[in-house]
Amino acid sequence: MSSVTAPLDTLRAVETPEGIALTLRPAGLAARALAFMIDMCLRGVIFWLLFIVLMLIFRSGLGVALALIALFLLEWFYPVAFELTKRGATPGKRALGLTVVMDNGLPVTPAASLLRNLLRVVDFLPGTYAFGLVTMLLRPDFKRLGDMAAGTLVVYAETAALDGALPEAEPAPPARLLTARQQLAVITWAGRARRLTPERFEELAQLAASASEAPPGAGATATTRLLGLAHWLSGRRGEGAAP
Amino acid sequence: MRIEAIALTLRPRLSLEAADLGLALARAEARSVWRAFGPLFGLVVLLAVATFDIAPWLPMLLIWWLKPWLDCSLLFILSRAVFGQSTSPADLWRERSAIWGGQWLRVLFRQRLAPWRSFTQPICQLEGLRGKALRERRRLLLKGRGGAAMMMQFAFSYIETALYLGLLLTILLFTPENQQAGLFSWFFGEEESGWVDLLQTFLYAAVVLALEPFFVAAGLTMYLNRRVELEAWDIEQEFRHVF
Repeated sequence: MSSVTAPLDTLRAVETPEGIALTLRPAGLAARALAFMIDMCLRGVIFWLLFIVLMLIFRSGLGVALALIALFLLEWFYPVAFELTKRGATPGKRALGLTVVMDNGLPVTPAASLLRNLLRVVDFLPGTYAFGLVTMLLRPDFKRLGDMAAGTLVVYAETAALDGALPEAEPAPPARLLTARQQLAVITWAGRARRLTPERFEELAQLAASASEAPPGAGATATTRLLGLAHWLSGRRGEGAAP
Repeated sequence: MRIEAIALTLRPRLSLEAADLGLALARAEARSVWRAFGPLFGLVVLLAVATFDIAPWLPMLLIWWLKPWLDCSLLFILSRAVFGQSTSPADLWRERSAIWGGQWLRVLFRQRLAPWRSFTQPICQLEGLRGKALRERRRLLLKGRGGAAMMMQFAFSYIETALYLGLLLTILLFTPENQQAGLFSWFFGEEESGWVDLLQTFLYAAVVLALEPFFVAAGLTMYLNRRVELEAWDIEQEFRHVF
């Protein structure tokens, strides 16, 4: 029924002005809520330290006044200041591996950063960021109102890499012409060699057995044949192979 | 188990990124999720509220306590959604012995106290493991990923609290100015009034109804991501599609 539609994913495709297609990986509710909690605790700690220091210095209403100004600045400009650094993330976001970027993947601009953080006051309604949480829950790109207004996106900065080096094998040509997607699949499979049990690795190789030629001296397992193909596809050629 | 029938894109993801896919899954199948889960949850809330005469705080505690049990039905619905199948209340009823039968002690005590319950529930319910095999499998899946699963559950309990208080504050926002203080002290006050407990119960139930499917879906997709890491399900999916 739904086999015709594209499989579900959280990716967001963008195109740069140069015509290069990029996929961004928007960060969702759990990661952003955790980043927010870290930032909130950090802001609280900074404020109380400032408050104690100011009270020790001034011992009067002036200390309270300065502390309140500091609270205002912290609340409004703490995220802006950090988002405009090279890393583009507050300490909480950095801890979770998140970055704020523009919709097209470029670094966040000062105006956009200011706008998305000023609009936190709307996301904050009715008092516990419930508006922001609901929009993040319902939107495919997990934007809160401030992100929508400013055209920004919170994305994952790190990738989950499972692929290691290809294990050694004699390069072997493919049995037939392979599509780019098939070639990529074979190379990705080979890179997982160290993560999988040999049995599972062989089981997977059986699925793609039709891609590789059975060598004259039969008896080689699907794994060795497909590994040879993976080396061939990644550009290696064995000695004495036809040009 | 037909991996090629999975309607999600499997690829290596960061743990919390995998949880985001769960949000997309729950949204994509929202109709079938709430159509099948809604009536069941309504019934549970109704029965819980019936204990109001015993103690006014009991209904809310019961809903909280039965959440892991409700998760079983949600996991059934969502695991079908992974394959693009929708679920009706009749489907849920037909499979009732498989979903609700047995495992009461484990679900109501062990899962209730587990800090990663939606991540580990699939091991028992979908893989059907019991006893020693279950414990070993759980240890393997949690290895190196327990922290992320715990953080995900913590984030969701935080979101649940924020939404609950948000609903409450919304009521306060719409109260005439001169009655707000009275309403506030009525709600949080010490004075005995059963209506407060009832209102709290229904607000809490509304939040659970809205949020619990997302939480279970996030745990399920984190579990699937773990199988991508351990058993290369993404490669099997790709091989079966292209070869």
